[in-house]
Amino acid sequence: MKRFGLTVAAMTAACFAALPVVAQVQVTLAISSEPSTLDPQKTFDGGERRITDNIYETLIERDKDSRLVPGLAAEMPTRVSDTTWQFKLRRGIAFHNGEAFNADAVVHSIKRIFDPAYQSTQLGDLRGIGGAEKVDDYTVNVRTERLDPLLPSRMYWLKIVPPTASAAPNFAEAPVGTGPYRIVEWVKGSRIVLQRHDNYWRDKPTIQRATYRFISEGGTALSGLLAGEFDFVDNLQAEFVKQAPKAARRLGLEHSFSILSAVSGPTQDKRVREALNFAIDKQALAEGLFLGQAAPANGQMIGNRSFGYNPNLKPWPYDPAKAKALIKAAGAEGKAIEFVVPAGRWPKAKEMGEAIAGFWQEIGLKPDLKVVVFNQYLARLRDPKVRPDVIYASHNNALMEAERTVANFYQSRSKGAVSSSVEDATIDEWIAAAGNEPDNAKREALYHRIMQRGYDEAYFLFLLNTEDVYGLSRRMSWEPRLDNKVFLKEMSVN
Amino acid sequence: MNEFGWFFVRRVLQGAVVVLGVTALVFVFTRLIGDPVAIMLPLEATEAERAQLRAYLGLDRSLGLQFLEFLRQLTVLEFGDSFWQRRPNVEIIVERLPWTLLLVGASMTLAVVLALPLGTIAALYPGRLPDRLTSFLSLAGLSIPLFWLGLMLIFLFAAKLQWLPSSGPGGLAHLVLPSVTLALPAAGRIAMLLRSTLIDELNAPYVRTAIAKGLPARRVITVHTFINAAVPVLTMIGWEVTRALAGYTIVVETVFAWPGLGLVAVQAIQRDDLVLVQAIVFVVAILVVAVNLLLDVAHRLIDPRVKL
Repeated sequence: MKRFGLTVAAMTAACFAALPVVAQVQVTLAISSEPSTLDPQKTFDGGERRITDNIYETLIERDKDSRLVPGLAAEMPTRVSDTTWQFKLRRGIAFHNGEAFNADAVVHSIKRIFDPAYQSTQLGDLRGIGGAEKVDDYTVNVRTERLDPLLPSRMYWLKIVPPTASAAPNFAEAPVGTGPYRIVEWVKGSRIVLQRHDNYWRDKPTIQRATYRFISEGGTALSGLLAGEFDFVDNLQAEFVKQAPKAARRLGLEHSFSILSAVSGPTQDKRVREALNFAIDKQALAEGLFLGQAAPANGQMIGNRSFGYNPNLKPWPYDPAKAKALIKAAGAEGKAIEFVVPAGRWPKAKEMGEAIAGFWQEIGLKPDLKVVVFNQYLARLRDPKVRPDVIYASHNNALMEAERTVANFYQSRSKGAVSSSVEDATIDEWIAAAGNEPDNAKREALYHRIMQRGYDEAYFLFLLNTEDVYGLSRRMSWEPRLDNKVFLKEMSVN
Repeated sequence: MNEFGWFFVRRVLQGAVVVLGVTALVFVFTRLIGDPVAIMLPLEATEAERAQLRAYLGLDRSLGLQFLEFLRQLTVLEFGDSFWQRRPNVEIIVERLPWTLLLVGASMTLAVVLALPLGTIAALYPGRLPDRLTSFLSLAGLSIPLFWLGLMLIFLFAAKLQWLPSSGPGGLAHLVLPSVTLALPAAGRIAMLLRSTLIDELNAPYVRTAIAKGLPARRVITVHTFINAAVPVLTMIGWEVTRALAGYTIVVETVFAWPGLGLVAVQAIQRDDLVLVQAIVFVVAILVVAVNLLLDVAHRLIDPRVKL
């Protein structure tokens, strides 16, 4: 009997111990797809970043104004030689499992992501990093294959993982980082729950617990928002902005554009390329297709916070009369213009293609619109022999460095830019110079010139800069970031 | 072996041919249309990176070799690793299949529970309110797109009235809306068939004889006509189950964020995850064949006249 009494007492105590003393500050977020992994170095699949951005941290971060600032690094890195950047690390930081954050963790993280057997698909923005060496417990030298002024920007995309925990077979399900939140559970198909890490080395965020749900259907997400089930909905559809309790919008990094072939077809003539730009009413596209949640792009494919953005460029004016005159002067009246557009990959690409073809018809051209599936599109984009006159694309330069944009699209095809339809020795020279220029001011000036020339030569159709749109509950306060990251630590509810 | 045993063996073999045929078709078509490497790597990835990933995924081999490898995997019931999730496809299917079975089970039970009384009453009182209701339901079931029905139910019962959760798995309450969405059109179709079959049976001479010799009407309906109506109705229910497994759940699971095979199939298709799509099709084809086999057996048990 006495034992029974003790058991009851113990169980009662356990029940009360499990009860929270004060209600926790909890939020529920609807993201559009479930992560395939929570290993932060393996892949970018749309969903994983939403979660791992809150669990893991990087040496370098971007603040709310998108400026590069030290994160796990104690200060911005210094260049100790042409191909070596030195990082001083913050002391006294531990991973959620108690492992120390130090030079070993950084060296391990870099080695791990570049291991060929590991097959990370995140390496795009990290290309050029050659390796890392420990100098002392809190100093690391990161080697680059050649002089690499972009390294600080790249380090925002390399999450630091703990050497011991990341070797565990279940690391993809049981992430361990230094960030403000740690994982509670991942119920596959259903939810991921994060809890505030109370020993976090910086200020404690106000949200204590966050539940992520995976809702791909926009109407369902909106209903959940209206029902009060969700505090946050990723990628709110344009049509639903008015119905949502609150919407948070901001012009993001996504820039739609098209590559005009300067090496073949009627678009070889600069006047035709200019006319194609003049013919398009960008404002009408932004309002008609994106319900005002987009703006005409400023004559380049990067935004005003990106390094190398040219502030002097304005949206290409809409002037159909001038377009007609240019077509006439070029003797291109009635000419067929092949226009390749992918179906599915980017929002409203097909509709954009149709609208643009309509504008070109009005100035007396015969647009030959080809809407194709993505891998066919890719084959055309990279086709070394037959360049499409015009090929649609969308550019999201998350690195926020003009270098990536110019290397892919402004650089000559003969110099290795496989998607490019340009041969321009002047631009190639400037790109090479910028790549070898350690001085940021000089480097920036070079990119300004490249952007200016791309605009003057009308190598592209400059289309729209689209907004990132999120749905919020009434009680949620949060400002979207330019880099499209969604940090719980920047949220609060009342 | 008796006649029944031979029948069973024959049907299992036929089923195996169907399953193999379907998976072979999917194998060819997914490889013709999709390129997972294009989706997995950013637009700016170099040709070398693409080639490396292609080799890693085994997509650099010839189509014939890939198919042989696929067949070898089938014989050991192993389906390889998902390109997208980078873990065994079997693991993913084992996680997801129970959710689909739960949803299909609940919705088909609900459909039958609704359809039997509706269809019976409609047959007994043609032209009256229950009959009209059945016709309305089945017509609506044929003409309303499932995703719209689902969204409207969510909007009404979750967003407006807030009686039920909008989406996702969870307790019993979470099961209600997706099950009802799947069940309503099916119930309408089953009830319509039951109604017309029962009316035919009720007008049959044996019913008149039974009533004339003094059997109570209720007994005639429940015992005699019902058993005769059971064969076509069972066929219809089986058809609904297979349609739900191999089609409707894709829509309903997507709308309700229900973590079943249908939802994961959509995501796998979007990502050109060829091997995962193949594995899902293989499993679903087996399920469909199994349901049909069960139906055949049930027919035989109900109606000994059925030729095997």
